[in-house]
Amino acid sequence: MAYWLLVNHLIEQYTITTTPKYNFPQPTIDTTLPQRFTELSLYSLRHVRNQHIQLNHQGFQQLNNIEFVNSIQLKPQPIPLNPRREPCIVAAVDTSSMKIGETATGMLVAVRGATVWKQTQKYRYTRLGPFIFHITEENKREVYDTLQRAYFGLSNSNGHQNMPGIMQMPMRIASLLERWLQTMLSRTINKGLILFDGSLTSGTSDTPIHLMREILATARKKENVVLAFSKMTNLRINGHLITDVLPEHRPPYLFETHGLNAKPPILLLGDIYVARFSKEKYAFRLDIDRETPFPDRIKAVEKLIGNELLSQSYPETLRLAHILCTFTANEVIAMQHFAVRKCGLSIVERPDMHKVLFGPFSKGECYA
Amino acid sequence: MKLYRKEGNIVQILSFPNETVEKGDYLLVEDAEARRGLIVQVIDVQFASVPGVLEELLRTLPDGGEVMQGEDFDPLEIAPHITYIQDASLVVCKIRATMENDNLTPSSSWLPSRSQSTIKKLAIPTLLKLARVDGKLPIVLGGTKDSSLLTIDASLLDGRLNIITGKKETGKSHLSKLLMANLVGYGATVVVFDLNGEYSGLGMSSDGKRNANHDKIHVLTPSQNFKVALRQLNLHVLLGILIHALHLPGTSAREFRRIWQSLKEKDKLTLHELGEAIPVWQCNLHVRDALFSRYHSLINSAFFTDNVAEATLLEECLLKAKEQGGAVVINLRNTSAIDRQIVVEYVLGKLVESLTSWKLKAVFLFAEEAHLYLRETYWDDIVTRMRHFGIFTTFITNQPDTIRENIYRQADNIFLFNFTNEHDLDTVSRAARIDAETVKSIARDLPPHHCLTLGKVVKDFPMVVKVKALDIKTMGETRLFFKNDN
Repeated sequence: MAYWLLVNHLIEQYTITTTPKYNFPQPTIDTTLPQRFTELSLYSLRHVRNQHIQLNHQGFQQLNNIEFVNSIQLKPQPIPLNPRREPCIVAAVDTSSMKIGETATGMLVAVRGATVWKQTQKYRYTRLGPFIFHITEENKREVYDTLQRAYFGLSNSNGHQNMPGIMQMPMRIASLLERWLQTMLSRTINKGLILFDGSLTSGTSDTPIHLMREILATARKKENVVLAFSKMTNLRINGHLITDVLPEHRPPYLFETHGLNAKPPILLLGDIYVARFSKEKYAFRLDIDRETPFPDRIKAVEKLIGNELLSQSYPETLRLAHILCTFTANEVIAMQHFAVRKCGLSIVERPDMHKVLFGPFSKGECYA
Repeated sequence: MKLYRKEGNIVQILSFPNETVEKGDYLLVEDAEARRGLIVQVIDVQFASVPGVLEELLRTLPDGGEVMQGEDFDPLEIAPHITYIQDASLVVCKIRATMENDNLTPSSSWLPSRSQSTIKKLAIPTLLKLARVDGKLPIVLGGTKDSSLLTIDASLLDGRLNIITGKKETGKSHLSKLLMANLVGYGATVVVFDLNGEYSGLGMSSDGKRNANHDKIHVLTPSQNFKVALRQLNLHVLLGILIHALHLPGTSAREFRRIWQSLKEKDKLTLHELGEAIPVWQCNLHVRDALFSRYHSLINSAFFTDNVAEATLLEECLLKAKEQGGAVVINLRNTSAIDRQIVVEYVLGKLVESLTSWKLKAVFLFAEEAHLYLRETYWDDIVTRMRHFGIFTTFITNQPDTIRENIYRQADNIFLFNFTNEHDLDTVSRAARIDAETVKSIARDLPPHHCLTLGKVVKDFPMVVKVKALDIKTMGETRLFFKNDN
C-alpha cells in the first residue's frame, strides 16, 4: 500500500519547474502515463515469480525500412544561418529499451525515458524509469493495448496483424513512452524548440499518423517548433548519403531537400533538411514540421544555434537526453539484481549455442 | 560476500555495501563440502570493477563539470540496486591458514568452491582461540577493532629478537614501556638504553605517585648516579671501550694492556695512577700520545671515578632485578655521543660478563635508536652471539633503515606502527615473518597508537591492535618554544 502511495506521490511531482517567463507546465495536463507504466510493469512482474532467468542484455536499434516513391534532391544553394541569441527554451526527448533477461515464457524488458531542457543556460532533466516488464506471448497484447488505449486512445484490438512480435515489444513500449513524453513537452512548453530523436515520418506502427499530427499541432498551438534530428539516415542522392554530399560552404547552414514522397501509409510530416552547424564535418538529417511557415523554421534553427551547444553539429540537449536514458552495464546488472531479489527469479546459465558450436569463431548470440 | 578469484596466496572477494570489511580484518572462507576453510586477512579494499561505472559517473557531470539538476522518477526503486552494484568492493586478502577440524595449517594449496563457499568475518577472539594465542604469562597489548583484547604471551618474547618501529609520535615508546612493565611484573630482568630519559617514570603513575613497579625500576644516569671505578672493571671491558668507543689503535691497545697489568700487580688501579703511569711509560711517543688522549676522554666523561663509594654497581642493580624482577634504565638523555658509546660498551660488556658467569639468567634489552650508540659489529653480535648468552633485544626506532636487513630477517616479532614513507615500508617489509604486501598496505593506514603485531607472539597472524593506555608518568617530553608555560 505504502508503495503505491509513493508511486502516486512521485507522479504528482511530475511537473517541470515553472518560471513566470515561460509559464510551464500547465497544472491541468494529464501526466498519468508513468502510473500506468508502473501498474503494468508491476502487474507483469507479479506473474513471473519463482521462475528461472537467463541473464543477458541486448539493446534495440530501430529498423528503418520505409520505402519512398521518388528520389530525394538537394537544392543547390545552402541556407546560411545567423545565430539568434534571444533566450529560448530548448527541450529534447529520448527513450531507450533493453532486454535484461529471458524467462521460460518470455523476457524481461527495461524501458526508460528522459526529457532534458535548457533554460537560463542551465540544463535540467526529468527521467522516468526504468520500468521493467515481463513480456510473454500471452500478455504482450494486453500490455501494449492497455498502454496505447490509456494514453492515446488507440487500440490494436481489431488489428491482430499489427500486433508486434515479442522481440519488437521493447521498442514498441519505448516508443509509446517517447510519444507520451513528446506530447507532454508539446503541451507544456511555450515558444520553445522541441527536439525529437529521429524523423517526422509517420504511419509506422510506432508513429501513428493522427498521434504525430496531434503532437505537432499541439506544439504549434503553443508557438513551439519541432525539430527532429536523425543520427542515421538512409536517404541517398546518386547512391551517396545526403549527409555526405554537402558542397563546401561555411557552416552553419541548412540544405533544403525536395522531391521525396513516401509510399502510403507512410507520411512525411516534416520537410527534410541537411543541417551542418559546426566546422566539424558532421551533418544530420533535420526534419522540420511542414505546417511551420518557412521563415519560422529558419528562425527556429537560428535560435537553436544561438541558445544551444552544438558540438559535432548535434544539439547538446538531445545528446543529454540520450545519455540519460541509455542503460549502462552497471544499471543492467542492477536491474537483474532487482529482478532476482524482488521477483524471486533464480538465475540459470543456459549455454550460448554459438559459443558451444563455434568456439572462438562465434560472433555471439543472434536471433534467426 | 562472494569468492571471486585466487592467485597464489591472494584471494579476491566481492563485497557489497552492507558488508563492512576493513583492512586487517580476518575472514573465513568456508567450503562446507570440502569440510575445510581458508582463514584470510584483508590487506586492501578496492572498488569492484563494475562495468559501466565510468559512464554512470560521467553522465552525472555533463553540465560544465557541475552536477546536472533534475528529477528521477523511479517507481520500481531500481536506484538503490544501482548504487548497491556501483558501491560493490573488491576485498584483497592474504591467505593465512587453512582450517580443518579446528586445526590450523599454513597451507594455501587447495581451492575452495567459488559458488558454494560461505564467507564470514572471523572474530579476533575466535581466531586467537583457534591459533592458540594464549599462555601462562599474558600481556594485554590493547584492544582490537572488534573490541576484544589482544593478549600475547610474555614467554614468546623470551629468547626472541623484537623490533618496534613506526614514524614519530605513533606510540612506539608507549608500547615498549607496556612490554617492559609486564616483563618486570613477571620477574624478568630488563635493561633499557633510554636515549631521551623517558623511561625513568616507569615506577610512577601519571599523578606522580609510586606504582607497583616503583622499587623495581633502577634509573642509572651516567656521571651522576652511575659511575664506575677502574678496579671494578675487567680489562677486556675497558679495552672494548677504548677500542670501539674511543677508536684506540691495536698497537696502543697492546701498550695499554701492559700498563693495566702493571698497575694491577701494584694494586694501583685508579684513574689517578693511570694518569701518572701513561706519561712515563716507555713506548713510542705516538702511542703514548694516543693513550693519553683516550685517558682524558675517560676523565672527561665523568663516568669513571676513583671513589668506590660513589660508584654504583650495575651488577648490584642487575642482581636485585634478578631476584624480584626489575628494569635497569640507563638514562642517556644528557650524555654526549662519545660518552654514550662508552657507557653502552661498558653495560654490554658487563652484561655479557654476568651472563657468561651465570650471575644472570637472561636479560631483556630494550634499545632505542640503537644506531646512535651501538657499534657496527654489535648488530650481528646481538642477534647471534649475545642471544645465546641470554640477551634478548628489542630495537625501537623511527628510522627503520638504521637497522640492518639481517636483523629484520631474523626478527621474531615486529610491532609496526604507522609509516607513510615508501622507503621505510620497503625496509620493514624485508622481515621474514611477513609478506611485503601486508606490511605496505596495512601499516600505511594505521592510526596513531595502533600497531600491526607480527610474528611469533601472534602465531604469525598479523593483528592490528590499539595499544592500551598506561598509567605511568610521562617523561622526556619534547621541549617546545610555543608551549604555554601557565
